[in-house]
Amino acid sequence: MRTYDAIIIGAGHNGLVTAAYLARAGKKVLVVERRSISGGIVATEEIFPAFKYNACVHLCGSFSRAIAEDLQLGSQGLEMIDLEPLLFAPSPDGGSLLIPRHPASIAEEIGRFSKTDAEKFESFCALIRKLTAFLHALNGISLPDRASHANFKLSELIKLGWKLRRLGKNDMHEFLRIMPMSIADLVSEWFETELLKAALAASGVRATSVGPRAQGTSLVFLHHQLGDSNGAFQRSGFVLGGVGNLAQAIARAARQYGAEIQTGSEVVRIVTKNGSAAGVVLSTGEEITATSVVSNADVKRTFLSLVEPTYLDPHFLLQVRNIKSRASVAKVNLALDAPPHFKSPARHGSSNPHRGVIHIGPTLDALERAADDAKYGRFSRAPWLEITIPSAVDPSLAPAGKHVMSVWMQYAPYKLRGSGWDQEREALGDLVVSTIENYAPGFTNSILHRQVLTPLDLERIYGLTGGHIYHAELTLDQAFFMRPVPGWARYRTPIKKLYLCGSDTHPAGGVTGLPGYYAAREILQEWRRNK
Amino acid sequence: MTPYDAIVIGGGHNGLTNAAYLAKAGKKVLVLERRHVLGGAAVTEEIYPGFKYSVCSYVVSLLRPEVIRELELPKYDLEIIPLDSTFSPLPDGNYLVRWGDHAKTRREIARHSTSDAEAYEQFGQLMIKIAMAIKPMLALTPPRPTSLNPRDLFGLFSVGNHFRKLGGNLLYDLTKLMTMSSADYLDEWFETEVLKATMSASGIIGTFMGPRSPGTAYVLLHHYMGELDGSFRSWGFARGGMGTISRVIADAARHFGAEIRTESAVDRVLVKNGRAYGVILASGEEIQGKIIVSGLDPKRTFLQMIDTRHLPAEFVRQVKNFKIRGSSGKVNLALDALPNFTSLPGNGPHLCGAISISPSIDYIERAYDDAKYGEYSRRPYLDIILPSTLDPSMAPPGKHVMSIFVQYAPFHLKGSAWPDQRESFGDNVIDTLTEYAPNLKEIILHRQVITPWDLEHEFGLTEGNIFQGELTLDQLFFLRPVPGWAQYRTPIKSLYMCGAGTHPGGGVMAASGRLAALEILKDWKMRRL
Repeated sequence: MRTYDAIIIGAGHNGLVTAAYLARAGKKVLVVERRSISGGIVATEEIFPAFKYNACVHLCGSFSRAIAEDLQLGSQGLEMIDLEPLLFAPSPDGGSLLIPRHPASIAEEIGRFSKTDAEKFESFCALIRKLTAFLHALNGISLPDRASHANFKLSELIKLGWKLRRLGKNDMHEFLRIMPMSIADLVSEWFETELLKAALAASGVRATSVGPRAQGTSLVFLHHQLGDSNGAFQRSGFVLGGVGNLAQAIARAARQYGAEIQTGSEVVRIVTKNGSAAGVVLSTGEEITATSVVSNADVKRTFLSLVEPTYLDPHFLLQVRNIKSRASVAKVNLALDAPPHFKSPARHGSSNPHRGVIHIGPTLDALERAADDAKYGRFSRAPWLEITIPSAVDPSLAPAGKHVMSVWMQYAPYKLRGSGWDQEREALGDLVVSTIENYAPGFTNSILHRQVLTPLDLERIYGLTGGHIYHAELTLDQAFFMRPVPGWARYRTPIKKLYLCGSDTHPAGGVTGLPGYYAAREILQEWRRNK
Repeated sequence: MTPYDAIVIGGGHNGLTNAAYLAKAGKKVLVLERRHVLGGAAVTEEIYPGFKYSVCSYVVSLLRPEVIRELELPKYDLEIIPLDSTFSPLPDGNYLVRWGDHAKTRREIARHSTSDAEAYEQFGQLMIKIAMAIKPMLALTPPRPTSLNPRDLFGLFSVGNHFRKLGGNLLYDLTKLMTMSSADYLDEWFETEVLKATMSASGIIGTFMGPRSPGTAYVLLHHYMGELDGSFRSWGFARGGMGTISRVIADAARHFGAEIRTESAVDRVLVKNGRAYGVILASGEEIQGKIIVSGLDPKRTFLQMIDTRHLPAEFVRQVKNFKIRGSSGKVNLALDALPNFTSLPGNGPHLCGAISISPSIDYIERAYDDAKYGEYSRRPYLDIILPSTLDPSMAPPGKHVMSIFVQYAPFHLKGSAWPDQRESFGDNVIDTLTEYAPNLKEIILHRQVITPWDLEHEFGLTEGNIFQGELTLDQLFFLRPVPGWAQYRTPIKSLYMCGAGTHPGGGVMAASGRLAALEILKDWKMRRL
């Protein structure tokens, strides 16, 4: 029987980060992945011959720079590509807002819509940069949990208090005030241009089931400015060779430190002995033993299907069932014969809008109405779309002259009222295509192949319970010491030696790598203590 | 004439409370009220002969016991009659009634779902525990988290310690309540739609949010925080209408020597060298006072009564950003007879409590959706009481008054104005209710419709917000009304705030008025004034 120090269930990017750090600390680590490739939802797959799709996640700008440097992912072949422009947002009337890469040109572009907005933009960005830097520090402290009652490290707290004070009185107030606010209120306090407000608000509702008027969406906005952001928009996000290369680079690093990665093997059960995790059983029947088990699967899957419920406190199970993991994202991936031609982009001169993020969702109300539909169990009739054309910056992803397009669509609820995704899948695909067609006439005719991933497909293919791309929604009641379940924010669980490292642990999803990193930190600390 | 020690602008219940406390401490106090009647939004008026309407506010639950005690309000004839039930009729002919009597409620809920009846007990117990934990916050001036002042540090420590002592589980439950939507929170407990909807409705009253909006769950606590005659979770109605509460506080204030003038609209607060020293009335009369206390909402106080050049630009920006969206209206009716509900016909105890038109979460959420885009709800949430069933003096013998609280009604209507829409808004409310009580239209003798526009123009509530500012997480406790100014003081020395726009906010609590007075008297004692 094989034996390891740690077995990691699932080779998502967080699982790989945890594996790399544990292996680097000299532990014998095995990562077990159900699919034939590692990376989880950070995957680039050739679904249609010669076209490489960023099947699920399509931007990685929030990946932690510190982790990338620490694991020397650059030497493992990771190359992030700058967004240039940062954003292109067409409006239905044929106008468009373009956010160039160069800060000075941004004001000029926004100034075409509103002089005051242009003047305020840099101050807004500066404020948000300050607040996200603080949020980043806040995310880094070990939160108290049940297993270590109120065990804040005093030194960490003093450091944090000092950082908060250094924000100054006004910014400190702003942090406390803004965190629970709605993103619609926040951007409306600053700006008047609808297109700009909507483009900003979009990252406040990313992967949530609520609209921009919901409280707590400002925290989601701040969360998405972690990483390489100018305070309003991400500055990078594409990866050379596709986003899957990020996961592959982490996997290579992990292997180099000695971790084993076994793909095509499904874990069906976590073995527990005397209340402690002791190993896993694969679908082949093989049992592998380990001192510790770390689950990169979502918490619901981990506790509702991999662990014998008899070993668990019913209150804990209730809390796990109560985790809100209502899906809201669908993905449409396309192979194109030619790039799309958006109405009136010519004005933007040499700047090619295809090389940035394309945002469709012209007003705050449009985003809000899109969310309204999902409340009543329909997918949005007029959805918010975030489009990328990675082949515009990396021709290796498609045959010469042809392109791949990735469309992030919101809102698509997991449960459709009076219907099911197997009946509605193509209707959603058609809606996305016709929505783009309205902005880029002739687009439909350029489509060679289409892949539609509904929340149900995301669950089936990637094992995301409820189809939620972040495992669990990022809302105020599921953040910090409440994530993934109240009292278990430290990657530990009621079962000794069973840890969590997925996106539904603190500090939440969005391809940051941070849950994986902090989980490894916590596990190593515990090992050292127990020595 | 010797100048007053304090001039209180606005004779709402908080202004009157503030005046009473200051007068009780021996200060020479003047209260100036713009309308002909005292009480602000807590008034009783005979709009139609013989019928007394609680025009705006219609129930009381959180009136602070320390105010009742310290101002000896029962002396002035204050009687609160408990509302014993909440009746929710359904369009399909079924209904749900929650009674004051536990066993009866349990049997009634079990008629819909036995597991809900079970959960309802446990839910109530948890809510009472959390309500007990949070209640001390209502009687506390929020400490400033950014200050190094020993008093603030001690305050922060006390608050922190208070919550730490609650223990993990209660703290997690409290966090969930503070941040979740009432629909999500109740989904974890119950399955009966009408039960969830009626309970969640109490979480959205006065807010511009729907039952699925995060941040609405904590208002569920309010139901368990009321403290009338020491019994929990009771809503009540003041004999003689809500105006009685204002009247008795005014009587107490006068008893302690305060002077109260009605029909005296303040036009401006006089400021010189960073100090407020008096007011000018609309009549042109100038009155001087050592301090000025404003019971008006922050926008009205700082953006209309004061020249903004006397204020720091950052403060003005914060006040402008203060969110004060109105979301509700009122319809008051004089009735020839009692309404007859299809689902529970005839006269009965169900008419002596609250009547809630809230058949499902989706119903209320859709009502909110309309308001988001600038329309009043096509099918609104209604919270109704018939005061005359509890207090016959409110209407002539055999006749009745009905108070209908209507949500949602946004202050800004898209492509239209409230004066043009007032009557169709009223019609829509009557049509909605007629679907449940078909005889309604035949028994209406008189109707008064109050829109958010009327709340602003007649009652001086900016944008018609009944809480003088939304009760959202970013505008609570030390963030209310604006960060850094949650201690009733303002950037202008000798100018104070005491309205619902300050901590702990809306509802007929009188807490803001009292806490403001305590802070003022502290300053007086420290010779800062």
